[in-house]
Amino acid sequence: MATPEGYVAVKRYDEIPEGGIVPFEVDDDERILVKLEGNVYALSGICTHEYAELAEGDLEDHVIYCPLHGSGFDLETGRVTSLPATQPLPVYDVQIVDGVVYVSREPRQG
Amino acid sequence: MADPRPCVILGGGVAAYGAAEALRAAGYDGPVTLVSAEPVVPYDRPALSKAFLQGQKTAEEILLKPPEHYQRLGIELRLGQRATAVDLDRRELVLEPGERLPFAVLLIATGAEPVRLRLPGFDLPGVRYLRSLADAQALREDLSRAERVLVVGCGFIGAEVAASARMLGKQVTVVDPLPVPLAGPLGEEVGGILAEVHRRHGIELRLGQKVAELRGHRSVEEAVLESGERIACDLVVVGVGVRPAVALFQGSGLQIENGILVDEHCATGVPGVYAAGDVANWWHPAIGRRLRVEHFDNAAQQGAAAARAIAGDPQPYAPVPYFWSDQFDLNLQYAGYPGPWDQVVLRGDKAAPSVTAFYLRQGVVEAVVTINRPRELRPGRRLVEAQARVDPAVLADPSTDLRALAQPARQAE
Repeated sequence: MATPEGYVAVKRYDEIPEGGIVPFEVDDDERILVKLEGNVYALSGICTHEYAELAEGDLEDHVIYCPLHGSGFDLETGRVTSLPATQPLPVYDVQIVDGVVYVSREPRQG
Repeated sequence: MADPRPCVILGGGVAAYGAAEALRAAGYDGPVTLVSAEPVVPYDRPALSKAFLQGQKTAEEILLKPPEHYQRLGIELRLGQRATAVDLDRRELVLEPGERLPFAVLLIATGAEPVRLRLPGFDLPGVRYLRSLADAQALREDLSRAERVLVVGCGFIGAEVAASARMLGKQVTVVDPLPVPLAGPLGEEVGGILAEVHRRHGIELRLGQKVAELRGHRSVEEAVLESGERIACDLVVVGVGVRPAVALFQGSGLQIENGILVDEHCATGVPGVYAAGDVANWWHPAIGRRLRVEHFDNAAQQGAAAARAIAGDPQPYAPVPYFWSDQFDLNLQYAGYPGPWDQVVLRGDKAAPSVTAFYLRQGVVEAVVTINRPRELRPGRRLVEAQARVDPAVLADPSTDLRALAQPARQAE
């Protein structure tokens, strides 16, 4: 199966644990995959407030929380749900083809 | 239909920011003016003692949002304008140098101001306090020239400034009257962990001691402790706590008692007048007592809660207070109510340190602190939120899955 255009293959769907946060890189850009209730989300891996790896963070109610200062970002949209971050987290489109998770190279717009 | 009531937000910290955002998000479409004595839009104040002081971030980089953002929200900014008087009957503020600003709704978000020490020598040049961006800019400038820094008071600001100064390569001494720093808010065991981290990084601690006076000719040169010890220093930073900034409202008709008294909707006893953030002493309905919290997260959220009440959608403000502190490579996070508690239960490795502490009162989890263990913060917070009773031995057992423990607590809410 060919990789969808503008996407990169990241991991097999079955290899991501439910409730897991899995770090990966695209061209040295740190990102994360999150699997929740069977759905897979792809977001930037670095908090928009101060440098912190969100792979070390925590999930609660479809929000990913920064491990250092509690900034919260909506998994679906990257919208800030709690300060101190005020800039949204870039989110990426996900496609699952033949059991493989593909993530868009470019962030979703707006 | 446009809400015709002009609303004034008095203050320029994160409570004001949270209110500005939430007013518009909640559909308030009347005129809104933000009045701040500081000449800058709301910024990330916690960064002042850390990323800003260490030179990792500029003033522009710590703004919560750029000035244009307020224009987009349709919020008028009156920056660098101090309010000198208020008349709640006539519904107007007097701003320097004499302009009158009418309001229908007033949100007081004036925050807090540092307690000044009135001891001999504390008026010398080279003695600094840290609250505002201007304070931080002056301190950063002084730090670039200083070699020996004395920090008076080892609360969160003192401890963070000491760590930042040490990270900049300065010789740093910290004096605090308590035998264990931060024992008040965090207890002796956790305070002791922080003290050890500071010692390990080469900070000289003078605990259980007080400064009697500062001496110097053109500027500060040494401190004399009550014990008689003399400590050479060319910069002194005082961090001995803050007081709610209520001076403008003395005699205004508002009830003032350790801040401005408000109810669970951030409303004062005067209709249309609200308070939020460090200045507000509010009734917390979930725990049935008053709280005044001096932290960023509360200010942001309470500002937003007040805004929703102003916009006609009041919801009881009943958060689990949260704050963090970063010192060297240590990250501390606190979720919970202030003490008193009667038992502190630790799990993890104190030496590393990688520790979670639970604070119990009569068996109920009142607060949780994580030190370099961020994944235990939110499950711990859920236990606090549920006012859970958990066997201390279970909490202390590192094999206990806090997440699983927190789940039934949450369902029982």
